Amino acid sequence: MISLTSPVRTRAHDWPAPFKLFALAVATFVLFLVNDLWLMGAALAVTLGLYALPGAVFFKAGIRRLKVLWPFLVILGVWHLVTATYEEGAQIILRLLAAVGLANLVTMTTALNEMIEVIRWLATPLRRFGLHTRALELAIALVIRILPTLVDNGTRLSDAWRARSRRRPGWRVVVPFTLLALDDADHLAEALRARGGFLE
Amino acid sequence: MAKVSQIDIRDLSYTIEDKQILDGMSLSLAEQRVGVVGRNGSGKSTFARLVAGLVAPTKGTIRVNDLNLAKDRRAAMGEVGILFQNPEHQIIFPTVGEEIAFGLQQQGASKSAATEAMLDILDQFSLSHWKEAYIATLSQGQKHLVTLMSVVAMKPALLVLDEPFAGLDIPTKAQMKRYLNLYEGSLLHITHDPGDLEAYDSIIWIDQGRIQNVGSKEEVFPVYLEAMNRLGEHDDLADLSG
Repeated sequence: MISLTSPVRTRAHDWPAPFKLFALAVATFVLFLVNDLWLMGAALAVTLGLYALPGAVFFKAGIRRLKVLWPFLVILGVWHLVTATYEEGAQIILRLLAAVGLANLVTMTTALNEMIEVIRWLATPLRRFGLHTRALELAIALVIRILPTLVDNGTRLSDAWRARSRRRPGWRVVVPFTLLALDDADHLAEALRARGGFLE
Repeated sequence: MAKVSQIDIRDLSYTIEDKQILDGMSLSLAEQRVGVVGRNGSGKSTFARLVAGLVAPTKGTIRVNDLNLAKDRRAAMGEVGILFQNPEHQIIFPTVGEEIAFGLQQQGASKSAATEAMLDILDQFSLSHWKEAYIATLSQGQKHLVTLMSVVAMKPALLVLDEPFAGLDIPTKAQMKRYLNLYEGSLLHITHDPGDLEAYDSIIWIDQGRIQNVGSKEEVFPVYLEAMNRLGEHDDLADLSG
């Protein structure tokens, strides 16, 4: 249902969400200030060290989530090979891995409702102007909730395709995939309405 | 809370893009346990959604405890809860605790009150260790139980159940049944299987969007079963609607 969750409970789960998000912002800022290959490598090593702290299960789950980055890393790698800017390329790749790695850590160790709480607090000035921020808070929860469902839908569609075809599913599953997504959106909207929707 | 919910339906019709789903229903009911039976596609689920106020009728009126729940969503939170057939369509949040607390906060409870009530309900079901559990790791039956707890926690006067036992194994179904029988509010239970409705006072049989029969289960079930078995020998499955 949700991809960025932790398989084990870590000590970081008990830290306040605003603190974690602030630390993440500072760390990411520093990552972009640093312009040294070795320091960047050290930053990535520290990130990986953090992943290793809660144990092997957590480490593996965390690394699996970083794998989605590989297409970007390949594109960056190819570009910097072609332009012969090796050191710059290596730095950018390390920075990307470290920054996304840290962000993943925060998401994995923070409950969704805590995250929403922070957003609610950040949106306080908007509420002063009479804007309805509950919709914004819920929208973020819903995106996080629906993404893994979309992935499941895709897997199910391609399974259904392969069950009756020797060829790989191609562009032709795009339309049914879109329809399924719309269908899911309908169901979710109804689930929300059943429990009050955007009542403030 | 043990008050019996009053459902009043007058000339109710519901159409989706010119397709008549429900047609000219009128009904007045005040029973603790009401069952709704009918075939697949008879309009039962639409009926459930109308009673819960998730959709408004195209024509006619439907009032629960003298409230128009499709309009007055704020009042609806305390009046009616609905359990969907598919828990995947009902669960919004990633963990059990968040899912249960959400509805309570929607009812206006503060964060701490919602957390307390959430812990209470988990305790009532002897499932306190589920608080942090991720929905994705639960079995289908366990997900059903989560949706039940989330709705029961909100203590609606009327609980609408849309095929709540579909796809459940025998022990899970028995356990769900036991929890539901204990529910203090009114139940409106939609199913195709009369076996699910042993403890029910009043039965509505819906067929092709119309009320076919209303009465006690002794009155409705024999005719219903006879009709269903007769249809089973034909092949009207080949007929397309609309």
